[in-house]
Amino acid sequence: MPHKNTTREELKMKFQSRRDFLKTAAAGSLIAATGVRPLLAADEVLKVGVIHMGPISDTGWEYFQANAWRALESAFPGKVKVTALENIAQIQDCERLFRQLSAQGHKLIFGTTFSQYASLKKLAPTMPNSHFECCAGIAAGTNLGVFEAREYEGAYVTGIAAGRMTKSNVLGWVGAFPVPQVIYSINAFLLGARSVNPDVVVKVVWANAWVDPAKEKDAVAALVAQGADVLSGSPNTPVQGLAAEEKGVWSIGNTGDFSRYVKKKQLVSYELDWSSAHINAAKAVMEGNWKPESTWLGLGEGGYVKMTTSSPELPETVAKEMKVAEDAIVAGKLKVFAGEIKDQSGKVKVASGQELSENDIKGMTWLIDGVQGTLPQN
Amino acid sequence: MRFERRPKPSTLMIFLSPVISLVLTASVAMVIFASAGLEPLGALVTFLTAPLADLYGVGELLIKAAPLVLIGIGLAIGFRAGIWNVGAEGQLTAGVIFGGYVALHFGPDGGLSVLPAMVISGAIGGMIWAAIPAFLRVRFNASEILTSLMLNYVAGLWLTWLIFGPWRDPAGFNFPQSEPLAPAALFPILVEGTRMNASIIFALIAVVMGWIFMKRSFIGFQLKVTGLSAGAARYAGFSVTRAVWIGMLVSGAVAGMAGVGEIAGPLAQIFPNASPGYGYAAIIVAYLGRLNPLGILLSGLLMALLYLAGDLAQMSLGMPSSITGLLQSTLLFFLLTADVLVHHRIRFKTSGRKGVTA
Amino acid sequence: MMSQILPILIATLIAGTPLVYAALGELVTERSGVLNMGVEGMMVVGAVIAFITMQTTGELWLAVMTAMLAAMLLALMFSVLVVSFRAHQVAVGLAMTIFGTSFGSFIGKSYVGMAIVMEPSTLSALASKIPLLGIVLGQLHPLVWLSWALFAGVWFFLYRTRYGLIVRAVGEAPSSAHAIGYPVVLIRYLCTLFGGAMAGVAGAYISIVYTSLWTEGLIAGRGWIAVALVVFATWRPGRCFLGAYLFGGATIAQLFAQSAGIGLPSELMSALPYLVTILVLVLISRNATLMRLNVPASLGQPFVAGG
Repeated sequence: MPHKNTTREELKMKFQSRRDFLKTAAAGSLIAATGVRPLLAADEVLKVGVIHMGPISDTGWEYFQANAWRALESAFPGKVKVTALENIAQIQDCERLFRQLSAQGHKLIFGTTFSQYASLKKLAPTMPNSHFECCAGIAAGTNLGVFEAREYEGAYVTGIAAGRMTKSNVLGWVGAFPVPQVIYSINAFLLGARSVNPDVVVKVVWANAWVDPAKEKDAVAALVAQGADVLSGSPNTPVQGLAAEEKGVWSIGNTGDFSRYVKKKQLVSYELDWSSAHINAAKAVMEGNWKPESTWLGLGEGGYVKMTTSSPELPETVAKEMKVAEDAIVAGKLKVFAGEIKDQSGKVKVASGQELSENDIKGMTWLIDGVQGTLPQN
Repeated sequence: MRFERRPKPSTLMIFLSPVISLVLTASVAMVIFASAGLEPLGALVTFLTAPLADLYGVGELLIKAAPLVLIGIGLAIGFRAGIWNVGAEGQLTAGVIFGGYVALHFGPDGGLSVLPAMVISGAIGGMIWAAIPAFLRVRFNASEILTSLMLNYVAGLWLTWLIFGPWRDPAGFNFPQSEPLAPAALFPILVEGTRMNASIIFALIAVVMGWIFMKRSFIGFQLKVTGLSAGAARYAGFSVTRAVWIGMLVSGAVAGMAGVGEIAGPLAQIFPNASPGYGYAAIIVAYLGRLNPLGILLSGLLMALLYLAGDLAQMSLGMPSSITGLLQSTLLFFLLTADVLVHHRIRFKTSGRKGVTA
Repeated sequence: MMSQILPILIATLIAGTPLVYAALGELVTERSGVLNMGVEGMMVVGAVIAFITMQTTGELWLAVMTAMLAAMLLALMFSVLVVSFRAHQVAVGLAMTIFGTSFGSFIGKSYVGMAIVMEPSTLSALASKIPLLGIVLGQLHPLVWLSWALFAGVWFFLYRTRYGLIVRAVGEAPSSAHAIGYPVVLIRYLCTLFGGAMAGVAGAYISIVYTSLWTEGLIAGRGWIAVALVVFATWRPGRCFLGAYLFGGATIAQLFAQSAGIGLPSELMSALPYLVTILVLVLISRNATLMRLNVPASLGQPFVAGG
């Protein structure tokens, strides 16, 4: 946290700058109407605002969001200044603070989770003085861009490792909430595993929380009791990996590398890297050509999914298989959700030779045949 | 120096002890600011006034205080009677569920009747959720503290199930949220450029009605006596059963209304975490406000200010996000200790001379 | 199914242990006539202090000790207000929970999401070598075994020692106890501090052994369940002990059921422990005779010497 010797006068000035801002806002909206948006003077420092709903620690979702704006600051030293708020747990408060960030001259504002998306969709058109980006938002809108990661690509690659290393052919998944990102990751995990080992199944237990260490640990115990010997999930903390290690089974760092904590039994992992989203958005604002866009990237250069560590115990051959799959995905040759794919009831959802459309993946609410677990009924 | 019990509670101290605890808390805040390299008094002033710098900020204060005051008044009515409703959080959630049902099913068709229907059903939902612990207490003598508390968790899980299931937004790519509430289901904004809405009016009405009820109505008197001495109440023919029902149902109703205020107001949609912990914060508000309607109005505004100031302090003073929680808990700590002086006075022992009392 | 029994048993024992500590501690407190509603707050404080100590020093037993001390500080504050100054026990207890929870969360803010890598306990490793029992004992942390010793100790203390008799007397008829010459105030202080210490251990267990992590809402109402447990157990240590495992089992049952393919909504299963708590509270409380026979008669009443 920045600590500075600030006098009362300086603090007052910060809040008066808002009034000056409103004057330029009028000009800004005129210009916005014509589509040209030079929001920054040539030598002005770009102020970027970010709101985290949770606390920033050293692992998990907020950590990756924070890494992105830290990368942004180092990419443009002296030209970008980030104000990041954390622990704004209520959406009503987020909305108020987005407004206040904009009023205080933050020309680029990031939302860090889909929960903020609805507020940003409402707010962005009314605040032309700032440009808004939302991570994990649904679709781009007026003055609002969204970006999301193709986690399923990472999950597929980790599935290959799991499929090879399992001895019981039972894989486990600790699910947080049955949202599409989690569901398509589970499905991709199974598909990746089955691409090398057609007999595996994935058992799913829902913890109904993004972070609930006791539940997550118990869920791991339950899955291991069912015979799972490689576990994955959507962990925000090392708890799942540690619990798996305690039981002597492999864990996969799905959206996070926890090998610093899980020293012996993390098999493979991948991380989320949002820095290109932040850097590209900032660059566009500074150059005056920012446009609201919807970006959905996965593996590959400038993408949001990065495969990371592999355990030293992972055989060379398997590591090679993973790399081949990764390269094929990046090159567009390997489509994760390509037919034939059946859902749990046996119905064919993707015919042989076809692939699932982008929208169908984004809104996936069904589990693949071979995944054992239920979803809430609509 | 020793403490001596007063023959009867000191009215002066009842009003003075919150003031003392506020002063002490402000001092703690200044120490925190100073240790962060800020000029303490200036930082404190900024901390408290920054949220109110413009009309939008004032509106935010009122919008944040409204549910706290509303629920606080309801709780106070029960607390005075010795009915400890710790389940306001769950009752608020029940209000979200019942009011949300009306909003989602009838909102899209529009009409002026949607909003009143939402508010009423929210109140009913809260009352039902409060009726459960009331019934269990009256019929089975089960502690309403424990039952109402357990129901908080149950209500939260029920809402989660609804959002992930039947109420999932059909156009929302299956994200856990309801569809946005139709315009007919949203409280109109009272003042352009702010988020102020009718919940502020409800809160003010609650203050007035709470005052009338507590100070001027016979039932209010009955409840007060029941709280002070169950034996005396029974002797006078006041029914403890009725006190339980009234205490729980009133607080449940207002908590439910506060829930509707959140979804029909700043949220405009239903999320699994619709409830921001107002049910628990309102307990502090009621206590700080001395279970008195005007006191609750003031303490509600103060608590709301602390919330807003804490968030803003991250931006303007570089303070950690946890400062709100720290100051709230410090305030509570000082309040508990200062309240000792309500029933006890300090006697300074000096040999031979009359003791000096404080 | 047979192969499931052992893991379920182990998981139940693990999940029930914090309740054993907290509920037995509260039982002793209530037996002396003090109703401590602040258990949840004391558990939070214990959990966060234990976690911080463990993070910084890596010493498990030091962490448990500091947790006990921190929770005892809160219990001391509670006792001063409630025993010496005769404040309303329920109101102050509630306030202590709110205070403990928000203060604990404040201290813990910079530790959220951090995990401690626990070295497997050497004692447990030794225990796993014991024939027959070793299978179960070896998978349990020494703090779990200590909770069993606690149960035995509390039972023995209350029912087989003179001091335990005094504590019970203070809870049943403080004025008579005072007239005989027993230091009612001191005994209530000690019992409340003991209860606080146990709440601290319970919290420490959760944050260090059970999850090895600190987050908001880690305690998730277990302190309240412990208070309810004491009622459910009609203030008897044996029933308290069993009840703790009953609730521990209810907490994990839903996860095992899910993984076994039982298709009830997971939210309903998650609500199970809370619903069960309400149910047992009702079942016990409705029996007025049972309650009258077992409730410490002075529970919740401030003690006035000579009054």
